[in-house]
Amino acid sequence: MAGGIDVILQVLIWGLYAGCIYILLAIGLNLIFGVMKVVNFAHGELLMLGAYITFTFYALSGFNPYVLLAASVPTLILAGIIIERLCFRPILGTGKLNEIFISIGLIYIIQNAAALIWTDEWRIIHSPYEKITISIFGVNMPLDYLIIIITTILILIALYFFLRKTRLGKAMRATSQNRKGAMLMGINVERMDMLSFGIGAGLAGAAGTLWVVSGQVFNPYMGSIPAIKAFAIVIIGGLGSIPGAIIGGLILGIAENFAIFTLGGAWKDAVSFIILILVLIIRPTGIFGESAE
Amino acid sequence: MIDMNKTLGIESKKIRLYGIIFLLILAVILPLIFGLNLYILTVLILMVIFIIYASSWNFLTYTGQGSLGHAAFFGLGGYISAMVASASGISPYITMLVGGGAAALVGLFIGVICVRLKEWFLAMVTFGFAIIIQTLMVSQFAGATGGWDGIAAPRLISSGVPNYLLVEYYSIVLIAALVILLFWLILRSRVGLAFAAIRENEMEARAAGIDPVRYRLFAFVVSAYFSGVAGALEIHHIGYITPEIFSVDISFWPIIYSISGGLGTLAGPIVGTIVITVLWDGLQTLGITYARFIIIGLLLVLIIIFLPKGLISLPDRVRKYLEGRQKTS
Repeated sequence: MAGGIDVILQVLIWGLYAGCIYILLAIGLNLIFGVMKVVNFAHGELLMLGAYITFTFYALSGFNPYVLLAASVPTLILAGIIIERLCFRPILGTGKLNEIFISIGLIYIIQNAAALIWTDEWRIIHSPYEKITISIFGVNMPLDYLIIIITTILILIALYFFLRKTRLGKAMRATSQNRKGAMLMGINVERMDMLSFGIGAGLAGAAGTLWVVSGQVFNPYMGSIPAIKAFAIVIIGGLGSIPGAIIGGLILGIAENFAIFTLGGAWKDAVSFIILILVLIIRPTGIFGESAE
Repeated sequence: MIDMNKTLGIESKKIRLYGIIFLLILAVILPLIFGLNLYILTVLILMVIFIIYASSWNFLTYTGQGSLGHAAFFGLGGYISAMVASASGISPYITMLVGGGAAALVGLFIGVICVRLKEWFLAMVTFGFAIIIQTLMVSQFAGATGGWDGIAAPRLISSGVPNYLLVEYYSIVLIAALVILLFWLILRSRVGLAFAAIRENEMEARAAGIDPVRYRLFAFVVSAYFSGVAGALEIHHIGYITPEIFSVDISFWPIIYSISGGLGTLAGPIVGTIVITVLWDGLQTLGITYARFIIIGLLLVLIIIFLPKGLISLPDRVRKYLEGRQKTS
């Protein structure tokens, strides 16, 4: 291996950036799981929708793609609310396998609806800052990566304040801690379900926009791989734990990029599962998880 | 109480008996009705293979487990059988048992990791395993597997034999019947009772002296074995195998078949596979491509919400509905 510390730094920065997108997805999954006790296996498809909405608005308006977060996030929040009302609410409490299987139906519907609308070609758009790199500790880093990392941090801070300081956020946390208790305190838990699904989908939409602006290619079937990685993070970090998701996301992003560097690109997708399986063998509820049940 | 007569999933004994006889006769004469149309024969062969595959997947759900990565076993069975058959020249009908054995071994390994996991974790981990195995096949073992290009697999029956597709079809129908008979025998034995006890209430099953881990592992291995056999049959029918066999679609099909037919019943995967295959190929002949995935997805969502016991519960539902109307009027 050529180079020493600067190569490691380079890989760390790539990992940090890759981790950001996974973190947004995984936190969305965790929010939904916390409140509804449902894992949305079609979460990657929401990321894909976010990517295509960004793409469409970019093609129509030519705005700076980062600004289009303002389009993809609200659209996905709305989509999430619709999905929750139509698909997940009718089967809530009828068995966990059902909730897994309904996501499979959703995956087929969303993927192929997208393929009908946007065709199944691979697409790419170019960020206006594509060619600009900045130097940190002697390592060259695309400006886009820095913006993505900062954007993610801002979103996380906003989410933190929402959950900790606002009445609605507190009600959501109460619902996820004890659904019956929250109901007795006069919290409309069904509205909380809708809200958590909406926010979760919105975060996936944000991840989709960031995916697109970082210059990665996308097509209607691209959602499953990032989604599987988000599941891996959720398991590593513990189901329902938001700090766990952040740490899990960073671990995964960095490990993945080290694997590409040392083992080759084919291992990119498998390494996350090897980590996942190791974690599950050692600690079946995840590193930070209390108990799955 | 667990009613073992419900193993098949159809309540009325008469419908059950007639159903089995009808299906068997249909399986025998169907290819003859269409005058040995090669396209229809191919569709039928793949359908029967998928009946084996869906039934094997469904076997897991008797213990309350579910897998989103059965393509791992389907593909492994295919690869190992193809390699052994090409290297040794033994008939694929025998090497498919070896392929199934390889799938069962990996199933045992995955099962040991997974049996203690609950629904979500199990689903995510099995989903991941299919991808790991695909990655291994195209990178580490590319020398033996031909990487993304895949390898050729000997045909089940050489195309020199007259009406070889028809012979192939009947042999696969026979295998499917034997596999389902075996599942039935297992499920009506003490093992089947233990499965039901674990599914309904794990704590009580433990209290009754049933070791859930052992039975879950058994279900996992049996399910993996016959998924591997189904995979081997498919690739020996097609004549080649590529890593596409590990794709998410292959993992999802048996789930779609089993759910639309009726989860946790023997008849469910059979009915589901037949109905969905007819729908799927019917839509294709109408020239509908992407939209048919959407239709299948919608169907799945609607069945889960409105018909949680699957299509096989439809006759009972209709009967009860009609009786209810008679009473009120």
